[in-house]
Formats: sequence, structure tokens, C-alpha cells
Amino acid sequence: MTRLERLINLVAALLETDRPITRTELQQRVPGYEGSDQSVRRAFERDKDALRNMGVPITVEPLDPAIPEAGEGYRIRREQYELADPGLETDELAALHLAASAVRVEGATGQEALWKLGGAPGGGEGPEGPLAALPGGEHLPTLFAAMSERRTVHFTYRGAERSVDPFWLTFANGRWYLGGNDHLRGEERRFRLDRIETSPTVGDPGAFDRPAVARRPSPQPWRLGDEEEVEALLLVDAHQADWAVAQVGEAAVRESRPDGAVVLALPVSNREAFRSFALGFLDHAEILGPPALRREVVEWLRSVRLKSVPG
Amino acid sequence: MTRRRAGAEESLRRLLALVPWVAGRDGPRIADVCARFGCTEAELMEDLELLFMCGLYPFTPDTLIEVTMEEDRVWIRYANFFSRPLRLTPAEGLFLLAAGTTLLSLPGTDPDGPLGRGLAKLAGALGVNPEEALGVELGHAPPEVLATLQRAAAGHNQVVIDYYSYGRDDWARRVIDPHRVFNATGQWYVDAWCHHAVGERVFRVDRMRDAELLDATFDPRPISGTTPTYSPRPHDPVVVLELDDQSRWVAEQYPHEGVEEVGSGRWRVRLRVSERAWLERLLLRLGPRARVVDGDTTIAAAAAERVLARYGVSVKSP
Repeated sequence: MTRLERLINLVAALLETDRPITRTELQQRVPGYEGSDQSVRRAFERDKDALRNMGVPITVEPLDPAIPEAGEGYRIRREQYELADPGLETDELAALHLAASAVRVEGATGQEALWKLGGAPGGGEGPEGPLAALPGGEHLPTLFAAMSERRTVHFTYRGAERSVDPFWLTFANGRWYLGGNDHLRGEERRFRLDRIETSPTVGDPGAFDRPAVARRPSPQPWRLGDEEEVEALLLVDAHQADWAVAQVGEAAVRESRPDGAVVLALPVSNREAFRSFALGFLDHAEILGPPALRREVVEWLRSVRLKSVPG
Repeated sequence: MTRRRAGAEESLRRLLALVPWVAGRDGPRIADVCARFGCTEAELMEDLELLFMCGLYPFTPDTLIEVTMEEDRVWIRYANFFSRPLRLTPAEGLFLLAAGTTLLSLPGTDPDGPLGRGLAKLAGALGVNPEEALGVELGHAPPEVLATLQRAAAGHNQVVIDYYSYGRDDWARRVIDPHRVFNATGQWYVDAWCHHAVGERVFRVDRMRDAELLDATFDPRPISGTTPTYSPRPHDPVVVLELDDQSRWVAEQYPHEGVEEVGSGRWRVRLRVSERAWLERLLLRLGPRARVVDGDTTIAAAAAERVLARYGVSVKSP
């Protein structure tokens, strides 16, 4: 009796039953659990953990809901186990294969997911190396699951406990962001995943309705703040104008000057992030307004000068 | 026990997907099953030999899974409990959607083609709306420059690029042999041999304003697959920065040669810096939260003065 056989029989037994079954019953129905009670228990726990790790939904349920003292048993509910058939055509499955070989997501592999969808249909050879690689993130799968099951998530962010109805996940500026309804603020907010301070916990499924069209704007760092929003005007010289416009979008161009320079109008609710963006151009850019923002940058630069003097 | 534990779990993952696929068909070819599920015929045989001893209590012939092999085909019957594959885990669903969305965001991919259709079906099965739930923005690159580089890499053509050096704050034209175009953490890069620097370099595509395909070709050479992060060279000058608590991220974000706490929430980090403009930006951003305690201590002041001049503020040197 190999472990593989035992695992197959265990899954079959748990799937086939229409009521929870106890470990003692399982020991009788699934060959291979032998030895002392303690070693059987250990082997069963190990199998159960392995199956749960690969996503097999083993539930623990009361043997008789009317009599809680009667104890608990195990089962796999078919509706939780089975993949809903997405009905992929061969060319669609081949295209997903190609995508999975062209794009790497750190910490994830597509192999098993593709097996579940019907394996490699052949044909389309992937590129040699990955075309694109996205970083992963320990919270990504949890948040994605919560989003798809409409569960509210709870985590600490900037020192505050947040409860968020997750609407979307976006990768932009080299980072993952979560967007959703923030119960604390009572409005839609964006969160940087790398700044989530605790492992998110999730509530019950179906806890909220998604907005008809969730907003998924590109989160620019200077818009990720709680400060009162002001419109900043930034003059960027021809030297860096194309790059700057590519970063913020054509819609932000307020003025194109004959020498190739541009004036960008940007909504700012995080002044520190905006200052960093502006100073990244060194002396190829200048904040034109509002006056308060311009003054703050000048003050900042004066303090740089003073502090750098040795002694 | 004849298998290692990891082997048993790997085989189980495969079988839970393979059994429903084979059982749902009338005798697929064994070679096709192996190709689809990425195993050798020997591995498949080993697993199938085991499978037909599996089933339900009391394991009488009528409760066992039936596996029949005839010539080059295979049938699996009486495995109704395995009629569907195991659902996708959240991580698997996320991976496939992210990979598909990424590829779909590239210029030249038809949103109504097989990938777009497959992705929409998959998202539906996962209970999310594909257009709203997941977004991937790979970062800006001038589309015509990107297309030229990709064509050049495929055809081994040399390219002249007009490139902005972030470290030197300067534009220059140079000839490169582009080996591979790729995106990492939201930036487009090209791995290339640079004729100007006479060495292998990684260039950021968003810092090119022009790329011109040349008739001259190059012989592809093995490239080391350099990671596109900055890696200092041993002869680069050393700068020691003193940072406050808020600015510790510098030590997490950049390669350094040591960081130490010097008391009252201040830290000293030792960096090797080859490019002056890079350090200028860092120091201006850090502002009063950092100062140079070893190395060229005039850099920050000089850069700040240059930018202040731009704002019409003149500062007399002390």
C-alpha cells in the first residue's frame, strides 16, 4: 500500500460520502492506516494537511447537528471541490498556456492550474525566457479569494485597523494595489499591498455588492494621501518632457511650450510624494504653483543645503 | 512505501486532474495524455497501475476504478467521484488571470482573440469580472521604440538608440545589439551588448526617445541575464549617509555595504555610488532627513543650489 493509493482512496471516500465520517470509520474504509492509535492519528493528520495544502476542501462537521456531543466527522462537499467548467475551447486553453509561459508571477506556478483546465493542448510554443515578470506578495492570494467571494477583509494599515470590501487588485508602478470600500473612511480607497502590516483576515462570503463599474484608476503616489487635494502645476523642460508625459498621461498636459517644455496639472493629496517626483527631475523641472507648494519645496531645498554642511 | 512523500503528492495533483480528463473521453492516446499532463509514459503507467487498485470500500471489483489500456489508448471508468477536476486555488486563479491580463495588455494582442475569450470564461468561473477585478500596467515604453527593439531582437539587427542616462543626467546616442526585451516589476528593459560601453548592459526602454533599426546584424551571444537592479562596482566611491528613522528605507531599497544604528533613532548606511546624478536625486528627496558624513559632502548642497537657482532663489555659499 503506497501513500499515493491511500491518498486517492481517502479523497474518494470523503467525496462519495453524504454524511460526515469519523476518523475511526475512515481507518476502516481507507486501507493503509495501520499501527497504534497514535501513529494512525499522525498519518491521518499528515494526509489531511497535505490535501488541504493542495486546495482540497475537507470540512469538519457535527455527526448529528441535533446532538453536538455526538462528535464530529470529515467530508468533502462536491460543490466546494469541483471546478466549475469554464468551457474553454482548445485555442483558448492554448492561449492561456502561452500566457502562463510568457508571464511569471513570483511565488506562483501555472502548471497545476493548467492541468485542472485540461493540460497542454499542444501547438503554441512559448517564448524562450519570460517576457514579463511580476512580483508576488504574501497577501495577494488571500485578497484575490476575498474579492472573488465578496468577503470583507480586515488588516492594519498605517497603524489603523481597516475593514475593506475588496473591489479590485492592480499592478502599477511596480507594485500591487488593492482598491475597495474602506469602512473606516466610508469611501473607496487604495492600499499598497507592501504596506499592509498584518495578515489579512476575512469575513463571510457575499458580504457586499460590487459597484456596477468599479473605478480602477492608475494610482499615482502623489494621489495616495489623506491631505486636502490641490492642483499642482509642474513645468518640465524639453529634456524630460516626453518621459514625464508618458508617466502622467496626455490628459495632464496644461500647456505645451514652443521649446518643447510642458506644464502638467496634477491633483496632489500627498505632498511629500509629489515633492519627490518633482525633485527627481533635478533642475529640469519647476513647481509653478500653487504658491504654498512652491514655497514648501524651496524651504525643503534650503534645509538640504544647511544640513549637508559638515559639522 | 515506494515513493518519497513529495512524489506522492505531485502524482496525486496530476491524477486528480488527469483522471477526469481521460474519463470524459473515449480512449485518448496515451502519448497525448502524457504530453498534456507533462509526464513520461513510464510515470503514467506507474500511476495508472496504482489507480486501478483504488476505489471505495469494500474494494470489491465493482467498487474499483477501471483502467483499460489497448494498444496506444487508455480508458478510465467507474471513477464518478473524480468526474471533475479540483477547483483552482485562489493563488492559481490569480496567477492565470494575471498572466493572461498581462499578455493582453501588450501592444498587438487582439482583445477579442482566443486569449481574451479564454480569460473572460476563466474569470466568470472564478466569480470575478475580468476587466474590473484585475489590472496590470507594465509601465510606459514608447510603442514604436518597443516594437523596433522586439523586431531587432528577433532578427538580430543592431539598433541606434537615443538614451537618457539617469545616473549622468544626459542624453546620448549609442549602438546596441539587443538580445532580449522583457518587463520586470513594471519596467521594460532590453538586455544588450553596448558598443559604446563595450560591454553587456541593461537599458530601460522608457528612457529611449528613439530607436532606429540598422541593416547590420549581430551574432547572438550568451547573455548572463543580468538583473535590472543597480549593482555597484568595487571601485565606485564610497558615501556614508546618516539617516533618521523615517529614511531607513534607503537601506532596504538599495544595495549597501553595511548599516549601523548610531543612537537616538539615527542610522548610518555605507553606499557605493558611481553616478553623481543618482546620489543628487536621493539626497534632494531625503532633504533634512539625511546628510553625507563620509565621502563628497558637497554634493547635496551643490544640487540644492542648482535647483534653487531654477526657482530664482540665490543662496550665498557660507
